Formats: sequence, structure tokens, C-alpha cells
Amino acid sequence: MIIPKLAFQNILGAGLRTWLNVIVLSFAYVAIIALNGIYGGMQEQAVQAQIEVEYGGGQFWQGQYDPYDPFSFQDAHGALPPQLQNWIEEGNATPVLIRQATIYPNGRLRTILLKGINPDQTVLNIPSHFLADEKDVTPALIGSRMAKSTGLELGDYVTVRWRDKNGTFDAQDVEIVQIMNTSVQTVDNNQIWVPLNDLQTMTQMEGEATIVVVDRNFQNREPIEGWTFQSLDVLLKDLMDMVKSKTIGGSIIYIVLLMLAILAIFDTQVLSIFKRRKEMGTLMALGMTRVKVIELFTVEGAVHGVLAVLVAVIYGTPLLVYLATQGFPLPASTDSYGFAIGEKLFPIYSAQLIFGTIILVMTVTTIVSYLPTRKISKLKPTDALKGKLT
Amino acid sequence: MIRFLIKGLIRDRSRSLFPVLTVMIGVMLTVVLQTWFRGVESEGVQIAASFDTGHVKIMSQAYADEYDQIPNDLAFIGVHDLMQDLKKDFPDMIWLPRIKFGGLIDIPDENGETRAQSSVMGFGVDLLSSDSPEKRILNLENAVVRGRLPEKRDEILLSDEMAQQLGVEIGETATLIGSTMYGSMATYNFTVVGTIRFGITAMDRGSMIADLSDIQTALDMDDAAGEILGLFPDLFFYDRRANGIKDQFNAAHQNPEDEFSPVMLTLKEQAGFGEMLDLIKSASNIGISIFVVVMSIVLWNAGLIGSIRRYGEIGVRLAVGENKNHLYRSMIIESLCIGFFGTVLGTAVGIAIAFYLQETGIDISSMMQDATMVMSDVMRARITPGSFVIGFVPGLLATLLGTSISGIGIYKRQTSRLMKELEV
Amino acid sequence: MKKIISLLFILNISVSAAQTPSGEWILERIDENWVSGNKIYVTNMVIHGRRGADRTIQSKSWIQGSEKSFTEYLSPAREKGTKMLKLEDQLWTYTPSTDRTIQISGHMLRQSVMGSDLSYEDMMEDTELKELYDAEVTGEDTVISRPCWVVELTAKTSDVAYYSRKMWVDKERFVVLRAYLYAKSGKLLKTTEIKNVIRVQGRWVPNVIVFKDALKEGEGTEFIIESVEFDVDIPDYIFTKAALRR
Repeated sequence: MIIPKLAFQNILGAGLRTWLNVIVLSFAYVAIIALNGIYGGMQEQAVQAQIEVEYGGGQFWQGQYDPYDPFSFQDAHGALPPQLQNWIEEGNATPVLIRQATIYPNGRLRTILLKGINPDQTVLNIPSHFLADEKDVTPALIGSRMAKSTGLELGDYVTVRWRDKNGTFDAQDVEIVQIMNTSVQTVDNNQIWVPLNDLQTMTQMEGEATIVVVDRNFQNREPIEGWTFQSLDVLLKDLMDMVKSKTIGGSIIYIVLLMLAILAIFDTQVLSIFKRRKEMGTLMALGMTRVKVIELFTVEGAVHGVLAVLVAVIYGTPLLVYLATQGFPLPASTDSYGFAIGEKLFPIYSAQLIFGTIILVMTVTTIVSYLPTRKISKLKPTDALKGKLT
Repeated sequence: MIRFLIKGLIRDRSRSLFPVLTVMIGVMLTVVLQTWFRGVESEGVQIAASFDTGHVKIMSQAYADEYDQIPNDLAFIGVHDLMQDLKKDFPDMIWLPRIKFGGLIDIPDENGETRAQSSVMGFGVDLLSSDSPEKRILNLENAVVRGRLPEKRDEILLSDEMAQQLGVEIGETATLIGSTMYGSMATYNFTVVGTIRFGITAMDRGSMIADLSDIQTALDMDDAAGEILGLFPDLFFYDRRANGIKDQFNAAHQNPEDEFSPVMLTLKEQAGFGEMLDLIKSASNIGISIFVVVMSIVLWNAGLIGSIRRYGEIGVRLAVGENKNHLYRSMIIESLCIGFFGTVLGTAVGIAIAFYLQETGIDISSMMQDATMVMSDVMRARITPGSFVIGFVPGLLATLLGTSISGIGIYKRQTSRLMKELEV
Repeated sequence: MKKIISLLFILNISVSAAQTPSGEWILERIDENWVSGNKIYVTNMVIHGRRGADRTIQSKSWIQGSEKSFTEYLSPAREKGTKMLKLEDQLWTYTPSTDRTIQISGHMLRQSVMGSDLSYEDMMEDTELKELYDAEVTGEDTVISRPCWVVELTAKTSDVAYYSRKMWVDKERFVVLRAYLYAKSGKLLKTTEIKNVIRVQGRWVPNVIVFKDALKEGEGTEFIIESVEFDVDIPDYIFTKAALRR
């Protein structure tokens, strides 16, 4: 037990120097966790936004529906099976009817998607409640990007032409009652949201839908005839691939940060061995074996790591919690492509990240403390006493 | 005096080698991290730039207004002459005329009647010119699943998934049914020579890639193109340079009176990319700042500790009658030398590593087994002007600061106590 | 005597003009004048593009009643030899450059024909109006200095493209001089205006027709009938898919 005791004594005895090193090393811990948290938060936010406003806990697609084939839209509608109907009534799912239509902003023809959604739904984080107002004209909700590209503004009327179930043309004006700021372009670009009931009446598709979005917290996924369930894994595949490639990029950053921690401790260790030759010589002269001396110096390094964790916990916990709850403000983004990130960036720290970092940094600190001590094994006590180190 | 100090530094390794090494490694890490973050930033828009927006893009003004609808009837005519101008005025840029189009792919049976049909999103790009960079830009070689790339006229690539659904084999005929620039129905026979997969669902569901001149013929778009993409040769986006090119081009070619005259937009001006780039940039700025601050503290600490350790030496020097100011100055100059050499060396090594990471990159394809994103399988660092100076913050400033703070101790020391310490 | 007969004839007409005829009767007269029997005509379609230059597409059509038609494009060079066959509700097109016969169906029917304001579906809709619509005469008007009945049509069945139509029909010649096509909501979608009418083989033929998408800005598409022959023998093989590749 003499070694740890001695190590602690030495460390505490060094006073200011020790605490400077410990504090610096603790910065390394906090920085590694914070930076990776930011990195992870960026991706998680993109995924979360997509889930909240578009995918929910997954979607049931009417058999004909294929979002990548606009020609499939014509036939992609069907009556809601009882099972889905139940879930919808329980608030565990919400139907969306998707129809192709043409609008004529400024007298030019433009093909768009009309999407019918229940104004009082809570499954998707879309401000559909704006569609609840009883008005003579059909209220419509568009995204800011759509507003920009069509020149439509709040309160504008726009003529929409569509075909009903039988192919008969119909057209009427809808009023833009809200422009939503969403970073998820797939609910914004080239589409107009209207109340589901209105769209069903307009197209003579009462009680029908194209997709049914399941609530995030609803676990029931039993198969339903004529409708195919698309899980989040499938829906998020592209984004996840992107995230995965970014994670690999993130590991480079992790390595660089780890090297910063190594640098912080290595410098201290190398110098202390260089400077404490006489001390080593004395210890050896007093009868301590070389191995024990190596052990002593290694443990001293490792104790730095332990102390740094303690210090990091003291100031790091409130700091990281603050960042995670308050977020980093980012330049206002009303309109971003592909990546879906809000106006603030919230770092996310997983337990894996925190404990992984602690264990990794401690291990590395110990190894790095050990490496320069190997020189000691070649040291002759007499030389050491004289202050020579070769 | 400086020469004397440097001599001293060189002869005492504990005063020279280790501090310089520490600063060097710290600076190197800073530079590598900064370039990596900058590389990741560009990564975010690289797919979009290659497939869609370019770093700058030329369209007719009318086409640009309705860009979302891919209005080929509003395409720009006079591509040949414009390309000559572009190559003359901006020889460093990569210029890629392209036609995007929608339509149907129709596979005939032996009687020439429809056997299978599917909607398709098409790209007409220059595949056949020997010096065309498109194969590299779109990473086509890696995207091929079956067959090969087109080598002569009327050969096309289809998405592998769509080819399977259509049941079309390599070497079979596929008819494109599209719409000409003037709105007539266009039909054109191609031979399928290969299938592709990019790992981007939208591209993999139903896309075809054909040679630009074939599409110009098929869609009656002689000397026309929907878009001309301009890319910087290293495929990184440079905001200011892009704006400069845009201003120069628009001043020379844009005519507000003529909706079919060309207009150039930068990547940032297209559909939300500006916001996205700013977003990623500010996120990585946060990252780089945190790192620089922490690294500065590490190096400051190293400088501080280095000086604290030398209190003994300081004592002797004071004892032999060295002036405190002179001593403090000499320590500051020493640390300046260490910081400067360390930073220069660290920046040099860091830039060298970053250069390797920029030119070669890290191939992550082996780490992405089930994911098949062909477009971004190499992650790269990116050296910016900032990479050359960022190291001086932790390397020089922090080291200097550390020494100057600890050096203040010189003035507080009393010779008698120092002599005592020396006896130890 | 002859004078009296012609006077009676005129009186008769004025009488029938004074008494409002039924909508159905007017629709029958329209069909008699234009739809019934075989005809061959050559038309020029003038499309006003946004680029300024107009495009003229010339075609020759062989038509039997309202069910069968065969069209061959004559110019411009790029379209020359392209053929189209319509049999009841099916449409095929053939292009010589690809030697492919392709059926135009579903969404493709909604595409514009040669960049005009007309869709293939609009072209297909040549079926007799009285089968699809209830007609009612709602007033009188004058179009290109001709007195007209204003006839309002409402769909009988639910599967028509246009729920209602308003037509200005020449009281004597039974040529539709103006037609408005409406959505179910009552919004005007498309307009057809006739600029000139000529007489061929005892029938009145509109020879300049302007089609326009009412919601879109633009000058619309002009249809000019260059020549028309009625009651000609058209061999049956013309209306077969084999004829497309001929």
C-alpha cells in the first residue's frame, strides 16, 4: 500500500502544479464529452425533426403508394381499415390523404401535392390546428420554402385545380392561413396542407387516406391487409447512412481530442521524470526496486486522471447540463435542405459517451504515465543521485 | 542576447526539446482538427453540389424561377458558345452542362410493344468526351453494380433497383418517353449497358444517366441545357470566390429584359443551402473554438509549469546578481522562441497531415458495411487560410501567457529563500 | 311559288328561332353538322411559346364518327411520320425513329399534346356530348356577329373531366362558336373560341379555333383547319395498330 499512499502524497505535495495539471486534464474530459455531444446532437436533431414532423413512429402506406413515383399517386388512396380507424380514434395514429394538384401562382402552372391532415391531430408536430378555423374557403398551410418559391404570402388566395375520384376536374381557391417554419423540407417543398375532411370532400374520397402515421409512443404494429407498414428503420435509412458516415468522421475528432488529453498528461510526466531524477535515485538508494519506482510514477500519473474526473464532475456536470438544456444558438434557419436542424443545437451525451470517455482517458493517462518511466529501468541509482539521466 | 538564449535552449533539452515538442504537438492537433471540421462542413453539401446545385449554377432566368419543376421548355440555348466563354473567363473551374428530365422508361417485347414501364428521373451529363470530369464528379465507376459505363452514343445506365423491377437485362433496349423542349412527346431508343446504385434512395429508385448529347437529340434540345454546374477543382466550396465569379458572370451575360438570358447562382443562393452551410459552419466553429480554448489552456499550463520548475535556476541567477527585469525579459524571449518554433513546426506538420487527409482522405467504405452511400465514402480534411494561423493562438499566445504569469514570481522571490532551496 | 316557299322557309326558321329549342335538340344538330360520318382533315396547330417564336404543327386526320381516329403528323421535320391512333378510349402513338408503338394511358393522357394547351385527354374527348351531359338552353347571345343560343351542360355521369360546360351555339349553323369548361366548383378552367366559320360540302366548319387554359397566362393554342372532306371512304385497316407502322 505504500505506493498509492506515496503517490498521493507526492501529488498533493506538488500543490499548485498538480492542480493545474488536474484542471487542464479535466478540461480535456469535458471538451471531449461536449464536442461529441454537439456532434451527436446535430445528427440526433436531424433524425428527431424528421420523426416529429413526418415519420412519427412509422407509417402505413396504402398499397399503391410510392413516394418516389409521382405517377403512383393517382391510385394511392383507400378506405381506412377498421384497425387503423380504431387507432386513429384513440389518437395513436393520424391519416394523411395525398393528392396531386395544380396551382397557378401568378398565372403559371405548377404541379404540387395536396395533403389532407386532421386539424386536431397530435401525432405529427405540424401546426395543423391553424386549419381548424371555420371559414368559407378552405384554409391552407404551407412551409416557408414553398412560400418563397411560389411567392405566396399569409392571407393570399391561390387557385388549386385537382381531379376527384372519377377524374372530374375541380378547382377552387384556398387561403393561406399559416406559413410554417420547418427545417424538414419533405413536408414543405411543393405541397399544400389542407384539412383532411375538406380534401376528402373535394375529391369524393370520404373516409379514405394515402398514408397513416403511427404515434411515436404507440407500439402496436400488427400487419393490415392492403396497407404496408414502413418502419422508422426503412424511412430513415438515408439519413441514418448519412449519420453513420458522419459518425466515422466524428471518431477522427474523438481521436484528436484524446491526443489533447495525452498531451496534457504526457508533458507533465516527461518533465517530472526529467526533473525528479534525484528523487528517484534517493528512493532507489533507500532500497526501493526499479519496478516499484516505475509503479510509483505510473500511479502518480493515473491519480491525475482520477482527480481530473472528480474536478470535471464538479464543474462539468452543471456546464454540460446547461448546454444540453439551453442549447447553442445557431443562425436562424427557416429553411434548410436535407438536414433538419432547429434554430438551436442541443448536445446529447449518452452514458456510453460519458463512461467510455472516462475509462478511455484514464487508461490512456495511465499508459502515457508509464511510457516515460521506462527510462527509469535503465537508471543507475548513483547516476540518478547525481542527477544524470541517460 | 537572443542568440545566447537560443544556444541555451538547444543545449538544455528540458528547456528546449520538450516544450517545443509539446507546443508542436498541440499546434499540430489544433491544425488537424480545424481542417477536419472544415472538411466535414464541405462534406455536408458535397452530394448536393455534385448532383444538383454545383458551387455555382447557370440557368436561364425563366428556368431558375421555376427550378423545382425542371422546366426544360425554359432551358438555356447556346451552350456551346457559353461554354467557350466560361472556359476562357474561368479556366480553373469545372463546368458541367446538364439536362435533368422526367419521363417514362418503356421496355419493349419482341413485337415492339410495351413489356414493362416505369417513371424515371433522368440526367443527361457529358459521359463520352474523353476529358469529361462527370464520371469522377458523380463517382460513377463506384456506383456501377452490373455492366459498364456508356462508351458510345445511345448507351445508358439505369438504377439497379429499377432495372430489376423492369426485368431489363444488360444490352437490352429501353425507350425513353419524355417531352421535348417544345412540349411534344419524345421517344428515343437507348441500350442499357449498366446499372448503378448511389446509396441515395431518391436516386436509386428510378433514375437513368445518359450522355448529354443523346438527351439533347432525344428531347430536341440542340445546343441547350437546363443547367450548367460550376465546381471548384478541389470540390470544396469557396463562398467569396463563388460570389466573385457570379458577379463577374452576371455582369457580362445577364440581361434582365430577356428571361432566357443566363443567370448564375451560387450554391448558397439555391434552395436553403445558404442557411444549411451557415448552420454547419457555426456548429463547427463552436467545436473549433472549444478545442482551441482547451488546447490553449493545456499549452499555457505547460508554459506555466515549465517556468515554475525553473524557480531554482531563477534563484541562482538572481543570486549571481542578474537584474530581475532582465531575467523576466530573457524568460519571455525564451518562451517566445519556443512558442514560435513549436508553432511553426506544429503548423507545418499539421498542414502536412491535413494535406494528406485532404488529397487522399480516409476511405470509410469498409466501415460502412450495410450502408451504401457511394457519394461520400471518402472523408476529407480541408486546408483553409485559417489553418495556417490558428495554431498561433494556443502555440504562441498561450505559451507566452503561461510564462509571463509564472515569471511574475521572479519579482516576488527573495534571494535568501532561493539560496535555501538550492541546497536541496 | 318558289318565293313563297323560301319565305316560308325563312319564317319557319324565325319561328324556331323564336321558340326556344331543347338543349338536347341543339346537341343533336351539332353532332349532325360536325361529328357524324367520316371525314379527313388537315390542320395546323399554332402554339405560342414563351420564347416568342410560334410553332406550327401540321397533321392529317382520318376520322370515323366519334370513336375512331388516326392522325399523322406532316411537319415540322421532327414530328413528321409520328402517328396516333385512337380507338374508343384507347390511344396509341408511333414514332418512326424508335419504331415503337406505345399506348398512352393513365397519367400520360394528361400531358399536353405537342406543347399545346390541349391534353391528350382533351383530344380524346370527342364523344357525343348528349351522352355525357344534360343540356339546357339558358339564353341568347351574339358571338362573332352571329346570334347564338347559350346552352348550359351539366354532367350526367360522374366520370367526366369537366363537370359543366357553357356553349354558345350558332342558331342557324349549329356550330359551337364559344365554349367554356368549368370545374365542379364552378371555376372556369378552359375556353374555346371560334374565330371563323366556312362552309364545306353543305356543312359549317369552324376553321380557326383558339383553345386556352383559363387559369394559365398565355395566348392559348390556335387550331386552323386547312382542308376538310366529309363522307369519304376510309379503309378499315387505317384504324388498326398495324397501320401505325405502315
